[in-house]
Amino acid sequence: MTRKKVKLAFITNDSARKATYKKRKRGLLKKMDELTTLCDVKACAILYTPYEARPVVWPGPSGAREVIASFKRLPEMEKVKKMVSQEEFLRQRVAKAHEQLKRQQKENREKEMAHVMYQCLSGKGLQSMSLLDLSDLGWFGECQGHGVNPALWSNAFFP
Amino acid sequence: MARIKNPSHRQVTFSKRRLGLFKKASEICTLCGVEAVIIVFSPGQKIFSFGHPDVESLVDRFLSRNPCPQTPSSSNNSLNNKLKGVQQAGSCIRELNSQLTQILDLLDAEKSRGEVLDNMRRSCTQQSQWWWEAPIDKLGLHELEVLSASMEDLKKNIANQAIYLERNNSASSSILGMDINGGVGVSQHFDLKSIEAKVQGFCQQLPLPVDNFHAQKFF
Repeated sequence: MTRKKVKLAFITNDSARKATYKKRKRGLLKKMDELTTLCDVKACAILYTPYEARPVVWPGPSGAREVIASFKRLPEMEKVKKMVSQEEFLRQRVAKAHEQLKRQQKENREKEMAHVMYQCLSGKGLQSMSLLDLSDLGWFGECQGHGVNPALWSNAFFP
Repeated sequence: MARIKNPSHRQVTFSKRRLGLFKKASEICTLCGVEAVIIVFSPGQKIFSFGHPDVESLVDRFLSRNPCPQTPSSSNNSLNNKLKGVQQAGSCIRELNSQLTQILDLLDAEKSRGEVLDNMRRSCTQQSQWWWEAPIDKLGLHELEVLSASMEDLKKNIANQAIYLERNNSASSSILGMDINGGVGVSQHFDLKSIEAKVQGFCQQLPLPVDNFHAQKFF
């Protein structure tokens, strides 16, 4: 749907920003509606914007007041437990993405090593590999070797 | 669009959609200079809230214009303090957003690489070039022994090659496109002794006499 990736920064062009605001506001409120309907939960959203004199309130002033009243009734600890500011939210996202990245890099490294190892087994040489590659390949091969040996033994006894 | 009947599906959907909702809220705040607060109750009655600049001040701001009969709004002091905090957080948020974009781009790139590697492996096994790719418990005894011997040879070759490289002081970067500084090696520290130790350790684990099964085919 999107033609190009949007940079995560304040849109300096006034008309572009206003257009984006209209689209995204519609999308956000739609998501609120979907979430509350599908999951049968209560929620509210309030937006203070430079484009509207009055705050945008979803589902509406009375619905929002109801949710806020339930919110206020909770003990402080419960309120704060899952409360995030934008800053905190972004930090959490960065941390999660970092973990996913490390995992994916490790997975890819292992796939690479498997590929190279099998290429070597089919006759291609090691000449073009750097020390780092060889070290990783050695480690990887050792792990694979552990798989081969139990298989060898069980195969010998239960052919 | 209706309530999801299965409670665990409902909970899973809630978790995913809540995260997506907060993500969209964060984006509209950054892109359009909007202040927003979202309060959601989970199916399990836990409360999640997102607020920019922060939940409490926005809630109070709303209440002071739309008072609830039961709940008092908090004092102006706390509001001012929070607004001061906002200015400091501003540049922090810019930084975090750019960090996030960077990491997500890297993640995308790694995922694509993963797919490329998967495709390579799939095309090779389809061409039946790599019989050893079959799950290891399906291989016959002879095949396993050949594989074992080949791997032993490979280990020795690795060590020899490493010695050769060390002697010639090669600082070549990897053919696989990962340089020593930027790459994430599975074993980060290289030294010759560790390679030799690994080769020895591996050879010691091969109990069967493999001299009869000479892997001529491979080397």
